[in-house]
Amino acid sequence: MNVQVEMPQETAVLELPPEIVKLQIKDLNFFYGQKQSLFDVSVSFAANAVTALIGPSGCGKSTLLRTLNRIYNLYPGQRATGQVLLDGEDMLGPRVNVAALRARIGMVFQKPTPFPMSIFDNVAYGVRLYEKLGKADLANRVEDSLRRAALWDEVKDKLKESGLSLSGGQQQRLCVARGIAVKPEVLLLDEPASALDPISTARLEETISELKRDYTIVIVTHNMGQAARLSDHTGFMYLGKLVEFGETEQLFTNPVTTRARDYITGRFG
Amino acid sequence: MDHTLKAVDDDLGALTHDVAALGDLAVAQLRASVDVLVRYDLPAAEKVVRADNAVDIQDAEIERKAVRFIALRQPMADDLRRPIAAMKIAMQLERSGDLAKNIAKRVPRLDAAPSEGHSALIAELGRMAAERLAAVVNAYREDDAQAAYTVWLKDTEIDERHEGVVREIVAGMAAQADTVGDSIHLLFIAKNLERIGDHATNIAELVHYQITGQDLADRPKL
Repeated sequence: MNVQVEMPQETAVLELPPEIVKLQIKDLNFFYGQKQSLFDVSVSFAANAVTALIGPSGCGKSTLLRTLNRIYNLYPGQRATGQVLLDGEDMLGPRVNVAALRARIGMVFQKPTPFPMSIFDNVAYGVRLYEKLGKADLANRVEDSLRRAALWDEVKDKLKESGLSLSGGQQQRLCVARGIAVKPEVLLLDEPASALDPISTARLEETISELKRDYTIVIVTHNMGQAARLSDHTGFMYLGKLVEFGETEQLFTNPVTTRARDYITGRFG
Repeated sequence: MDHTLKAVDDDLGALTHDVAALGDLAVAQLRASVDVLVRYDLPAAEKVVRADNAVDIQDAEIERKAVRFIALRQPMADDLRRPIAAMKIAMQLERSGDLAKNIAKRVPRLDAAPSEGHSALIAELGRMAAERLAAVVNAYREDDAQAAYTVWLKDTEIDERHEGVVREIVAGMAAQADTVGDSIHLLFIAKNLERIGDHATNIAELVHYQITGQDLADRPKL
């Protein structure tokens, strides 16, 4: 019997059992004008789990994230083909209400983006757009969201102060609170901790771990330790293609593709 | 290995070098312990016992380097398996060294030089154990999973030979009651050699794991 040492697989994408899938991406291609930046990406993201997307700069992981809630629609010349199925319903279709879609699929960006208004209003803003809540209900929703984002204890006595007065880490958790206040089903996080110190990062990571009980979370990160700590599944992308997707433990202990192995061990380029 | 950060290659290279060197030392100690027994060389036996200290020191040094590598380089995948395997292999080698030391320790406790027949039995078993250990150390040094697998497959050979040696020594005990004390020492020595064979099997599993990420213990023996 011969020992298998070679890693002959070019790509390896784990197929999840349909009953756990929240978001399913099928044959997704994405174009910035003439330039194609995603190539036939097909992958599923599980409900109540964290999926991490890793890969070198320009590999398409942020583009993939931006496709999921159609943020790209805000920019002319950007288009996607293929399907993004949320509970089986195609989100890329022409009849989809994009504003309603973004309430179902929330997003937190790399740089904290608090609105120039009070901490309370930052969180309440989206809720007021989508729902008509009474004063007490709205206050409860804001408190609940801030608690879930692990920020409540730090801001409960200064809810009227500007969101911009908070530290970077607090601002980022404020954005998470704002994102979850509208009760989305999916939360997309694009490098949410890249500008944070280790303590703020740890708090945000703890927040994300807590949130996965209620949400489907997809996080783009350059920090492989973070992907390993936080996620249940990890996808490795390279040059616009999904090279390897699988259980996080498998991918970080024994990747099956050479490219993923080279990337996570720092043998890249 | 070609890591972008060259220091990672340097660290891994140094770790591999140290473990392989410890392996050579353990093999040398094993060969020497059987040699001093067969020649009934009491001063040389004492030297073998003292030399075990170097094995212990090198094992501790490997553990220190592996822990440092994990802490500072935060390795993933095969880079993570290497320091883990290095620590575990070093531990197996350290135990093999202990067993060789115990063999040498018994030499001065014998009443007389072992008989030609007994010497031949132990020398043969010792040669098998040393070849096994040397083969697996070489598989580690060469990063050769196939060679490790080959060592692993042959783990019953030394067990069977050990049983044969035990039978022959016990048969001799019945015939010559006055050498029973020495024969018991020889039985322990044979057992120690068989145990070293087991450590070689464990190391084969670790080498295979380090390279492939797969557990050999899950595989059927052909």
